[in-house]
Amino acid sequence: MEYGSIEREIRVDASPEVVYEVISTPEHLREWWPDEAELKPVPGATGVISFGDRSTPDANVVALTVIEADPPRRFSFRWVYDEGEAATPDNSLLVTFELVPSGAGTLLRFTETGFREKGWEAAVLEEQYREHVTGWDYFLPRLVTYVARLVSP
Amino acid sequence: MSVAVDDELWSAVGDPTRRRMLDLLLTGGGGTATTLSEHLPVTRQAVAKHLGVLHRVGLVHVMPAGRERRYEVDEAQLARAVAQLASVGAAWDARLQRIKRIAEAIQRGQEG
Repeated sequence: MEYGSIEREIRVDASPEVVYEVISTPEHLREWWPDEAELKPVPGATGVISFGDRSTPDANVVALTVIEADPPRRFSFRWVYDEGEAATPDNSLLVTFELVPSGAGTLLRFTETGFREKGWEAAVLEEQYREHVTGWDYFLPRLVTYVARLVSP
Repeated sequence: MSVAVDDELWSAVGDPTRRRMLDLLLTGGGGTATTLSEHLPVTRQAVAKHLGVLHRVGLVHVMPAGRERRYEVDEAQLARAVAQLASVGAAWDARLQRIKRIAEAIQRGQEG
């Protein structure tokens, strides 16, 4: 059973075709996630996303491997594995976007799994990239409820 | 704290029985393997084993209480675990909101 996962659902008032383009093509990826993206949305393709100015040593360059590319239904990739290694279920996180038509729009289902296999350092690494700083001043026992939601099976 | 220990911390809170135990310890202000097992569908022995896992990663501390041992949640360690997990979820929440905004703008452009 997989406990180390994040699951989200969001309704988008745009067709699955449009949403698929936004989540899978480098020109759109750049708008919602990294500063730069070099990636072909085809299964097995490897690419990179980068954060920061790539001409400086401060830049973070992160490898990705596309696992599924089934427009306009499903797009998934693995990331957060060591440079020079091939992405496997044990050394990486799997991000999956599932697109379900919903009226004139799309229900976008997101999951990120593999934290348990990959371990804690992935969470720390991820933290460096977050743009969105939230003060998590929850108090106990609400904290536990929150963890349960984040890592629920 | 080393990465190896952090891996264990992740696994420790990943288990639903252990999360339920943390809940019980928090609401009850602590407890023993016996008091916890009264509220859980597992044996006292299983509870003791789970408490051992939580103790090893610093999520609970222990003190003698008569013939038993009493456990309390280490709030600093729990807050640390939650903050790191929460940051990953929060980062994706922000990205998904951006995906929504971009896709909807494109859709409006196509219709307009």
